Amino acid sequence: MNILLKHIEYPESTELKGYCESGGYKALSKALDMKPSDIVDEVRRSGLRGRGGAGFPAGMKWTIASMDPKKPKYLICNADEGEPGTFKDKPILEKNPHLLIEGMAISAYAIGAEYGYIYLRGEYPEAKEILEKAIIDSYAAGYLGDNILGKGFKFHLFVYFGAGAYICGEETAMIESLQGKRGQPRIKPPFPVNEGFLAKPTVINNVETFANIPYLVEVGAYAYMKIGTPESPGPKLFSVSGSVNKPGVYELPMGTTLREIIYEHCGGIKDGKKLKAVIPGGVSTPIMTADTLDCPMDFVNLPKYGSMLGSGGLIVFDETADLRKVCLRITEFFEHESCGKCTPCREGVGWLSSILKRMCSGEGKPEDVELLLEISKNILGKCFCALGDGAAIVVQGFVNNFRPEMEGRAGAQA
Amino acid sequence: MITITINGKKIKLNKPVTILEAARKSGIHIPTLCDHPMLEPFGGCRLCLVEIEKMPKLQASCTQQVTDGMVVWTETEKVVEARRAMLEFLLVNHPLDCPYCDKAGECDLQDNTMKYGPAIGRFKEGKRKHPECYDDPIIVTNMERCILCSRCIRMCSDVQGADAITITNRGNKSYVEPFSGGRFDCEYCGNCITVCPVGSLMSRLHKHTYRPWYIEKEVETICSFCGVGCSFVAQIRGDSIVRVETRPDLGLNKGLLCVKGRFGFDYTVSSARLKSPLIERNGGLKQTTWAEALSHAAGKLKEVKEKYGPAAIGAIASGLCTNEDNYALQRLMRSVIGANNIDSTTGFFYGPAQRFFEDIFGQGATLNPMQGITNSDGVFVIGADPSAVTPVLGLQVRAASRKGIPVVTVGHMSGLKRFATCSLNPDAFSEPALLNMLISGLMKKRPVCGENIFFEDIIKKFMLSTSDNISDACGLGKSDIDKAVDELNLMTNPAILIGRQVVQRSDASVLLLQLSVLIYLLNGRIYLISELPNDQGLVDMGCQPDTLPGGRPVFSDSMRKRYEDSYGAEIPSAQGMRLMEMIQAAHEGKLKALYVMGENLLLNLPDTGYVKEALLKLELLVVQDTLMNETAELAHVVLPACSWPEAEGSYTNFEGRMQHVKKAVHGEAMEGWKIISEIAKIIGVDWDFLTVVDILAELTKVSPVHKGITYSEMDSGNCLWPYNGEPLRDIAKDFVLPDTKLIKREKCSGRSYLSADQQLFHSGTIGRNSSALNLLMPASYARIGSALNEKLSVKTGDTASISSGVKSAELDVIIDPDIKGMMVFVPNTAADKGALSFMKWSMNKDFKNPALDGNEIEISKLRSKAEEVAA
Repeated sequence: MNILLKHIEYPESTELKGYCESGGYKALSKALDMKPSDIVDEVRRSGLRGRGGAGFPAGMKWTIASMDPKKPKYLICNADEGEPGTFKDKPILEKNPHLLIEGMAISAYAIGAEYGYIYLRGEYPEAKEILEKAIIDSYAAGYLGDNILGKGFKFHLFVYFGAGAYICGEETAMIESLQGKRGQPRIKPPFPVNEGFLAKPTVINNVETFANIPYLVEVGAYAYMKIGTPESPGPKLFSVSGSVNKPGVYELPMGTTLREIIYEHCGGIKDGKKLKAVIPGGVSTPIMTADTLDCPMDFVNLPKYGSMLGSGGLIVFDETADLRKVCLRITEFFEHESCGKCTPCREGVGWLSSILKRMCSGEGKPEDVELLLEISKNILGKCFCALGDGAAIVVQGFVNNFRPEMEGRAGAQA
Repeated sequence: MITITINGKKIKLNKPVTILEAARKSGIHIPTLCDHPMLEPFGGCRLCLVEIEKMPKLQASCTQQVTDGMVVWTETEKVVEARRAMLEFLLVNHPLDCPYCDKAGECDLQDNTMKYGPAIGRFKEGKRKHPECYDDPIIVTNMERCILCSRCIRMCSDVQGADAITITNRGNKSYVEPFSGGRFDCEYCGNCITVCPVGSLMSRLHKHTYRPWYIEKEVETICSFCGVGCSFVAQIRGDSIVRVETRPDLGLNKGLLCVKGRFGFDYTVSSARLKSPLIERNGGLKQTTWAEALSHAAGKLKEVKEKYGPAAIGAIASGLCTNEDNYALQRLMRSVIGANNIDSTTGFFYGPAQRFFEDIFGQGATLNPMQGITNSDGVFVIGADPSAVTPVLGLQVRAASRKGIPVVTVGHMSGLKRFATCSLNPDAFSEPALLNMLISGLMKKRPVCGENIFFEDIIKKFMLSTSDNISDACGLGKSDIDKAVDELNLMTNPAILIGRQVVQRSDASVLLLQLSVLIYLLNGRIYLISELPNDQGLVDMGCQPDTLPGGRPVFSDSMRKRYEDSYGAEIPSAQGMRLMEMIQAAHEGKLKALYVMGENLLLNLPDTGYVKEALLKLELLVVQDTLMNETAELAHVVLPACSWPEAEGSYTNFEGRMQHVKKAVHGEAMEGWKIISEIAKIIGVDWDFLTVVDILAELTKVSPVHKGITYSEMDSGNCLWPYNGEPLRDIAKDFVLPDTKLIKREKCSGRSYLSADQQLFHSGTIGRNSSALNLLMPASYARIGSALNEKLSVKTGDTASISSGVKSAELDVIIDPDIKGMMVFVPNTAADKGALSFMKWSMNKDFKNPALDGNEIEISKLRSKAEEVAA
């Protein structure tokens, strides 16, 4: 499988020359000869689902935004990849920036946007330099600007550097941040596709989603759908970390099983140890036990196993991992990153982490685990955005799947 | 039509609203914390979660819009449990210090917890610590109690437009703090305190002085500070106002207040408060009895009248006093003394400006409802910064701007700087040149429509006569003018706000005519920025030398007869003296007695040295006031009048809305109107006024515009111009074109001019006796711009010497880069260093008001702050 990471294997893949020699910007040229609405239709037919975590059909987003009469329209790339365990966008941003630029230019043409922003995670300074250089080169070569490829299409692209807030990966908080305000989610509706950046129709897609576009346009929806599963078509980037022999980013078809990823592609568990647990899609997805290895990694099958595809950031734990500490570490992350707008997330998650901290320091009480479940239940489904819910389902996942260990009765002690 | 069902009750709605709104309309209570009727929905506290059929998750009713057929349940087990959970979460980091907290008893968190919350909390870990902050003189912040509902932040940025506070940090470490750090650098409207649901933002002035349940009485009344006439509830304990509170549905301010209204009311209990009558004896004022004081004043008035004739007596009315007081004073002057010598400082700006516009556009042309500003499609402001002198009116302009309505301002206006789509800041006194360019630019795009042939004829003549005089000498580039013309050309029914500075100058008639042309071309509605609570009422009560109550001219025989019949006395047909004419006459020894009601002439008149000389020459100076002041010190008799909360009456605001001022506390002094009727009685005319109701009854009988008005009608909130009366519909036909040579002035660059600074914190009248406002108001200062600063090389805080032809003094300097050219702004708040005390004046020949433009002054650096500290 070599579509999203294809160019990386070529020398100087970050350079325009390297990208073009390996077939880059052909899709843009093809797209500009198509009708914008045909591109939107093609994307909708392909069933491409957003790669940021929620899996919303990209084609539907584009359709709504392109049909909104308000002008101008904006295009935003969500490159605020900040969830622990997720680093699948990094290779595109750092090694294949032109793929993103090409994908965005095609998308902009399709929906009728003249301005685009890449909202880049504040902790990716290398990517910032690489992207900015790539943008300058693209302007010079006519892939960006007022008259792209001489075909009368105007698209300007800017990099906006975040300041280290996880919440700004939430699309409406991202828009607030882009507008110079405090990063907090907005009330929906109106949705960004109708009233987003500067209250104008705005399409926000993940880096990887945009990276799928050039290929999709090149081969067409029919060929694209041959990859992956019928409900989750296309290639997917999985970033694998933790106790495996070959951690890294792997491009595989949607629906590849956990077993194949861990044992075939990542070379199995480190030091021949036993697998204990896997977080399948970044820390906001519930942890899974070792007996779920045959679960196909896609939007439809993971929920059947009590988890979610999320961003596709796998974290693998072997038999020696102290899952209570892992749970504390993850909860502390959510406490730190809660924006503070809504009560359950702001106060509830902090409460969870303070209980877990006490438990980890050996001062746990028998009723603590029940309290964790109670608090999680009180957070879940009551928050303003998905951040607090994420924290709650993660704690629930740990307690439900590894209750004896969470209660301090069994499991490895570090 | 949308039909929804809440708790089994069918509700029909005309337009989609939130579930919360729909529930409230049908009397179903859903508890909330972050929601506030004055603010946009936020959805943060999650207390208002409700269950909606066919939706798996609970939804926040404050943000969820209703859809047709929606079925909502607000009291299911799931909802009740969620509510309890949210309150438990809110108390995780809350100190639970209710017994110590001033908010206890009126705290939304406390009330909701008692009603819906868990009885026992399960949180056993450490709470967030954040010491209470006393860095600010007015606002105490306690961030341990804060529930981060952000009501204060939304109020400050989305409604007040001050953007002074923010949430610092993230998540459960968040807290509210001013951008400036500990001390607030803000407008001190205190609207954040109003909306804070807990004890996090509290007034320091009232800290630990009362508990909500100590309040014995609440009185809905009208603020006494400016011409907007905001409503509020005065909360009384014993004989003092402990606090004023607003309600989102109350009055035309709809819950908003400004710094003066909210914090300044303590002037009524200041140490300068006059409580017993004083009489001048052996060169000093001594306490005396009412009987002696009244008979002395009355006797002396009678004596002067007999000796020199009624024309030797004058009276000064006041926009700080009620309609009833002012009516009584003019009745005393016209029917008892027999002179039309009655005027006030309202005659410096408000009166003449109104008269000018009424002559062109008809009586009542300047009386327009305030909401019209946000409902218009453009705003043009000139002559005063409404956000400083009439802050709640200023908020309307800000709200208009926020709605995307174009706002054009002329002159230095710091409070509207961020809200104007086009700020024109011309060189000193070059407004006529600027307006000429705007008008001719606009006329090219939008020719006159032919609606008013008479006025269009005047426009033609006027534009012809000014065309030669147009110079580009206003210091603005062509692109600025073009942009402003384009903005103006977007407007079809704009609000035109006009302030003091366009009238207190020698070319006022030119400016007013230019503004009339602009108003005509734009189809604008006029708003006069009224600085005193009863400017309009004073005019309506006939406290002008040429008009009778109801705004009818004194020279009209039929009108005069109407009043003469009612008063049983003859009223002279000739116009009386204007205020500055009275001062001149006193100086020349022609005016012998002056009755001053509620006015400090030695602060609010220019060249106070001259005024003092004039007052010292009087045979009788009676001062009827509530507070001791520089003028009262010179008086022969000082008569203490009831202060604003101590007496019943009414104010008429800048919209022409008559509002009921209620008695809230008992005072030791006498009602103003009563003092006047006692004097009339001693002179020998018995008035049958027992209460204000009798005065209002007489007024409504005799004034052609105030027919049948009652206090209960005022209480309804809709006692608006033209009441039930007969406004004059005649438009003057004998219009005299002003001298257009006035437009062309010599270049003023390179010289420093003095102007009165418009102060938000107080205007120097009653406010300077408020200890709360004095905490905020710096001592007198000179505010200068960058150009002058370059010449002087001073820093903020350095001391400068300023001197005019009539006075010199030392003042601390404040640098304000937005001030253009060499202007020096000094507030008129301190009697010894007030801006007016430095000013020379000339009599404006059209309006007989003091023209204050072109007051050149010398300014030089005396010493720097650093030197002072070292010394």
